[in-house]
Amino acid sequence: MTVVDLDDRDAQDTVVGRPRYVLDQHIEGELHAKIVRSPHPHARLDGVDPTRALATPGVVAVLTGADVSGDASINATFGRQRSDQPILAVGTLRYAGEPVALVVAESIEAAEAGREGVGIECRALPHVVDAEAAGAPDAPQLHAAWAGNGCGEWKLRYGDPEQGWREADRVFEGTYWSPPASHVPMEPHVCLAAWEDGRLSVWTSTQAPHRVRDDLAAVFRLAPEAVRVQTRDLGGAFGAKGQTTIEPMAAVAARRLGRPIRLELDRDEVFLTIGKHAASVRLATGVATDGRLLVRRVQVVYNAGAYALTSPLAAGQGLLRAPGPYRIPHVEAHVLARYTNTVPSGPFRGAMTSQLAFAYESQMDEIASSLGIDPVALRRRNLLKDGDQYATGEHLHQLHFGELLEDAARAVEWGTPCAPAPPGRVRGKGVAVMIKTTLTPSRSVARVELAADGSITVRSSSVEMGQGSRAALTRIVAQALGVQEARVSVPHPDTDRTPFDSSTSSSRTTSSMGTACVRAVDDLRCQLTERAAAELGVPAESLAHRDGAIGPQGGGARITYEHLLALGDPPLVGEGLFESHGGLPAMDPLDVRGFSTVHWHQGAAAAEVEVDCETGRVTVLRCHGSAYAGRVVNAHRVRQQNQGSVVFALGQTLMEELVYDEGRVVNANLAEYMIPSIQDVPELTSTAIESSDLEAEPHGVGEMALPAVAPAVANAVFHASGARIRCLPLTPERVLRCLRENARADGGSGG
Amino acid sequence: MLGPTVVAVAEMAPAPPGLDWQQTQLQLNHRRLTVTAPVTETLSRTLRCRVGLTSVRETCGVGVCGTCTVLLDGSAASSCLALTAQLAGVAVTTAEGLLGPDGEPGPVQRAFIRRGAYQCGFCIPAMTLAVHAALYVRRHRDREAVVDELSGNLCRCGSYPQIREVLMELLADRGGEAADGATTGGR
Repeated sequence: MTVVDLDDRDAQDTVVGRPRYVLDQHIEGELHAKIVRSPHPHARLDGVDPTRALATPGVVAVLTGADVSGDASINATFGRQRSDQPILAVGTLRYAGEPVALVVAESIEAAEAGREGVGIECRALPHVVDAEAAGAPDAPQLHAAWAGNGCGEWKLRYGDPEQGWREADRVFEGTYWSPPASHVPMEPHVCLAAWEDGRLSVWTSTQAPHRVRDDLAAVFRLAPEAVRVQTRDLGGAFGAKGQTTIEPMAAVAARRLGRPIRLELDRDEVFLTIGKHAASVRLATGVATDGRLLVRRVQVVYNAGAYALTSPLAAGQGLLRAPGPYRIPHVEAHVLARYTNTVPSGPFRGAMTSQLAFAYESQMDEIASSLGIDPVALRRRNLLKDGDQYATGEHLHQLHFGELLEDAARAVEWGTPCAPAPPGRVRGKGVAVMIKTTLTPSRSVARVELAADGSITVRSSSVEMGQGSRAALTRIVAQALGVQEARVSVPHPDTDRTPFDSSTSSSRTTSSMGTACVRAVDDLRCQLTERAAAELGVPAESLAHRDGAIGPQGGGARITYEHLLALGDPPLVGEGLFESHGGLPAMDPLDVRGFSTVHWHQGAAAAEVEVDCETGRVTVLRCHGSAYAGRVVNAHRVRQQNQGSVVFALGQTLMEELVYDEGRVVNANLAEYMIPSIQDVPELTSTAIESSDLEAEPHGVGEMALPAVAPAVANAVFHASGARIRCLPLTPERVLRCLRENARADGGSGG
Repeated sequence: MLGPTVVAVAEMAPAPPGLDWQQTQLQLNHRRLTVTAPVTETLSRTLRCRVGLTSVRETCGVGVCGTCTVLLDGSAASSCLALTAQLAGVAVTTAEGLLGPDGEPGPVQRAFIRRGAYQCGFCIPAMTLAVHAALYVRRHRDREAVVDELSGNLCRCGSYPQIREVLMELLADRGGEAADGATTGGR
């Protein structure tokens, strides 16, 4: 069994269940808030009647959109890319589940009771759930400012697609569908807000403390410094906590009532707060008979839900990743996001990419099958290699797709037949590869403080959410400084005390914040060298650092770091910055080209499945996740990220779908929205491919294998049974229907 | 400018008006504890909001995710479905109850720590209780029987491979049938 490479002083608190989440926090004198939500997917809001709620014992106030929009000191809407989301609904209800009123009470029970007593007067309007339908000329319009429900449009044209279509021997076309899904972090969203002397303090379960700070400052027209946002560890996030969601509501109520507010979502409300972009991906690929990909057209429609969140720019991120990890001389891509009357969509682990990889990797096997080429061989022939030009016009480097493919294939013993299946069942194998950009531009600042007692404090706004960021940054700083990890601590993010970070997302922390930390250590060491040089009366160039001390390069007496600081001195502080420029915001949305990302995320997966031909049930027997990691900082955590990616993705592959009926989510609970249990998890393996360069920058690995899992499983199902399913999840019903259609078609051609 | 004071939960919990209240004597983690709670209050809310035990967490609220697992007279149960007022005299064990006499982690907890069997950690205290019940109360000796018992405890981070390693280790320690080398995951 594995020897765990773990020096995590949090382990004991975590396992025993000591306080560590915002959920575990309370403020003295706090009031409890509960949200009243829209029952309609689309309606004109005529009024809110709080009478019965206010008569409920313990209820202190009922706030509505009118209270917010009637206060000239508050921006009644928020949103970073488009300020389109009301703090509480005003005039129009745009999705079933949208916050309409906030009941504030002395106890959580009273708030819950009061919530039942709020009346909503409204007139239903026609609604639209499907993003394709939302583009029809007569479709219901959600926002007057955004005609045609447009929520982002991006185009790319590379090479000469017309020439490509002329040259292609065969053209393969298909439409691939990924449904809306839900992140399901085990800890719900929770926020505490309090005002003191005109200053707002917020504790919230967020992946992006500075983003929330800036959004709240915009809502209250304050300087960012007048808002303090703190977070603690998150009980899972997966993208669900990357955006400002419930914080403005809590902050408005706290200011209105002059008391601290605590707002904790119920599970159904988590489902109704943010979800995954449903997407249809129309993919046409022209190939030569020898299997070379010559030309590709990809048209994507993402469902943004009722409010923009990050969709306008995220759709562009989808565009950058849409061509797939292949060398294709001619590409045309068109990506749209559209508003619909559904739960707002946001980044979801493997963001914007899983939907694309399901399409291009499923089609890859369709091409292979039709041309009679082995699917691994077909990929090998077309995968991007170092120095190849990508559809953005960039030449890509540090590519490892070939190694990832071979690793995944090897993990399922590709080329060796599956062991015989029991009667009535069939087995097969599949592989898939994926390409993803990371957040660019972005910025991370770290401060490393050395105190006179020798302790080292890392001030960073990166959020620990199970991915092990604290353990990683601890190790990076300890190694860079040449000290024991036990001396290093990483306090929780606090915008008053920890410097700026764009967000903990896009698998960027180990790489971006890690780089900032290394630079902060460099800065600190320079300062230490100067002090030591002065102390010893020798030139700084003659000194070297070793094991937490400084001395002459050739050896001799050394001074420990703590000796360079007299007791009572303020800590010595080193600061480091990671900053990337360019990326999508610098591009023309309708003619995308140029520098996309500071590095490319690369991953692969392989699966072996068993299909029950009687029931259509798919059992994944084994699954492998493979990621390019650059340099591994913590092998145990990397393994968990890789395997966790696979487990998470198996949910969207086999069971997860947020179901709408008449515009309302009907399975906003964990009894009807299934996520993988320990029994759904097959034999799991994973590989982190490292650079041969020992100094290589670490890449994040939080989601590299994930987008490849669904197509690897779908390809294995096809290999096993001949059923090609282009809709996720791969439910027994879908598999069975496809098997029957295939049988009928065979029967028809035979007869 | 430290902002408002963050307080422990047990000091708070104001009495909600308009509800029927009842005193119940719980046997919580081998100690007697009298709690006063609305008759309709779930055990999870009592333990978290009145007693202040942060190891008890609610995720689904409908008894399917296992995050609020406690032991009731030794059997794993969802505390979000149990009513406090009906539990007089029942032995209630939470993760705090698995600690050793000096507050150090107990054997199951130590195995989770050794194997690094957690990521965000939210579901883990409940998971340790489920493992404890399966191995040491129901005394399952077969790994798959234990895995069956754990199927009601969800972990969204997907730490299942390490949790399986924990089971293997504890079963092997007990001389069960697990040391057959048929590992799943964690490689």
